[in-house]
Amino acid sequence: MLCKVDKVIQETPDIRTYRLKFREEGMMEKFTYLPGQFVEFSLLGSGECTFCIASSATRLGYFDCSIKKAGVVTADMHLSLEEGDEVGIRGPFGNWFPLEELKGKNLLFIGGGIGLAPLRSLIQYCIDNRNDYKDFTILYGARTSDGMCYKDEIREWQDNKSLKVVLTIDQPEETWTTNVGVVPKILEEVVMPVIENTKVITCGPPIMIKYTIQSLVKLGFADKDIITTLEMKMQCGLGKCGRCNIGSTYVCKDGPVFTNEQLKSLPDEF
Amino acid sequence: MSVETFVTDKAGLHKFYEAVMASRETYAPVEKFGKFDFKRVTRLTECDPESPIATTQSIKPLFFPRSAKVMKYLATSAGTEVSEVDEDPLAVKRVILGAKHCDARSLQVLDKVYNWDYIDTDYQKRRENTVIISTRCDQAGTHCFCTSLDYDVENLDAMDVVIVNGADGKIYIKARTPKGENFLTELNTEYRILNIESQMSEEDKYGEMKKQYESFTGSFRLKMDYKEVNAKLSKIFDTPEFENVSGNCVSCNTCAFVCPTCHCFKISDEKVKDTGVRYKSYDSCNNGYFTLMAGGHNPRPVKYRRWRQRAMHKFVYYKERFGENLCVGCGKCTIACPVNISIFEVVNQVSSAAMQE
Repeated sequence: MLCKVDKVIQETPDIRTYRLKFREEGMMEKFTYLPGQFVEFSLLGSGECTFCIASSATRLGYFDCSIKKAGVVTADMHLSLEEGDEVGIRGPFGNWFPLEELKGKNLLFIGGGIGLAPLRSLIQYCIDNRNDYKDFTILYGARTSDGMCYKDEIREWQDNKSLKVVLTIDQPEETWTTNVGVVPKILEEVVMPVIENTKVITCGPPIMIKYTIQSLVKLGFADKDIITTLEMKMQCGLGKCGRCNIGSTYVCKDGPVFTNEQLKSLPDEF
Repeated sequence: MSVETFVTDKAGLHKFYEAVMASRETYAPVEKFGKFDFKRVTRLTECDPESPIATTQSIKPLFFPRSAKVMKYLATSAGTEVSEVDEDPLAVKRVILGAKHCDARSLQVLDKVYNWDYIDTDYQKRRENTVIISTRCDQAGTHCFCTSLDYDVENLDAMDVVIVNGADGKIYIKARTPKGENFLTELNTEYRILNIESQMSEEDKYGEMKKQYESFTGSFRLKMDYKEVNAKLSKIFDTPEFENVSGNCVSCNTCAFVCPTCHCFKISDEKVKDTGVRYKSYDSCNNGYFTLMAGGHNPRPVKYRRWRQRAMHKFVYYKERFGENLCVGCGKCTIACPVNISIFEVVNQVSSAAMQE
């Protein structure tokens, strides 16, 4: 399916959000997806990459992919993919966040860097169905204030009285007036979450996920209440090419969303 | 109605082969420099369906090509046009002669992954349009261990039509699948003139074929207890033994290339000016970059981890997921390996080391 780049938002020096619309009319309505799913994104000539959908289907007419400059294809995107250009999209693939299980719970979102992208899809979805959920906390960390994605949207979240937003950066900066410190530290010292009836959804760099999960377990969260989404090299998205296998699990079909309970049952490859 | 088992001699078998070749596009082992590989053939003199050694490569490329076009596109400033590739040249009605049982069997294993969830229609079409006719081996090769694996090697349904050299010196030709039955029914029956056994009952014919099976299974040098190996491997993810068995590996990926069941692939684009093609080509978990992610993170940066994936995927994971072992015991990888790594030894060495730990 071909999409037109509707808008390019330079989130940080190396992260861009591409807002996409289908070229074919009526296709957007048929493209039904849920938070947590991903697409295969083709920059024709450069190749295909896997990206999560960073927006919610409750926001009509478009979908977003936030892309960090990391490899060959993404570098080409940052270099040359601009508004009005066309890209190929396959999807949506994979599973999604357990939406039914989240209903009636307190939600705690913990994101790091570009890891906020898959969470943003769920955050938007939950904001658009705010009455289904109880307390709503977002903890977001980045290495520097410059490295934070969705700055305008975060401001909206901060203005929304029904959400609690906690931001942090790793090192002090002159203009930064709020928390400084890595995510697990802020989680334990500042957020101090309620454990009862709370589901935690986290995504970020592997090292952050690792220590955040350790902190959560230390705080008393059950493994089944900690939900994350895995990053894994993928190509086909169809459970065929073998790249995303962890044990007998296909991350592209059985994931990318897993609870910590499920992760523990996989071979410890990562 | 089922087609009667045809009993004949060498001359009758040759007549049969000729009738088959006349009926459809045929692929069979062709010799070159003492090695055999499957090629398109039109005459029996060009090939050897009874090749004394197995082909270097399996029949996999006839179903899953080394590199296949997935789509074409034209991208200009005016817009992008994506088009389907031309008709699949491998999806014609065809026959494969002389695929050893392990080769034929590998397709049954691959069917599982190609037919779960998303159906690979190209593969399926090629599979439906292909009749496999081959002789059951009389003698195991040096690196063969198909009988050690967890399937009934006596059950020859992997071949549509099977040819057995009976212990009595006669040759038995029998359809094993509905596809094979249909093929034989439609085939010009002139070859049947050379029927040398019109009185023998189907049971007796089966008895002769079974005797051949028994002498064949007795000829294996390599044997292992599959259930034990599978059970042990599934418990020892962290054993250092994987480092010992993979030390010599040069990561050339030849093993995956010749393997009849390795099916991992990569997708790549080639674009010149405005026009481009997307390819699907073989890849292997032994490649260092197989799981390398943009940004530099690689969960399998070292050889032993990649070998662990290879061995475990074949002997544990695929079994867990699809109920089949992803190794058919053909020994092709061992024969082709430049540093003599044998998958048979790898799984046995690792699992017996686990026992000692």
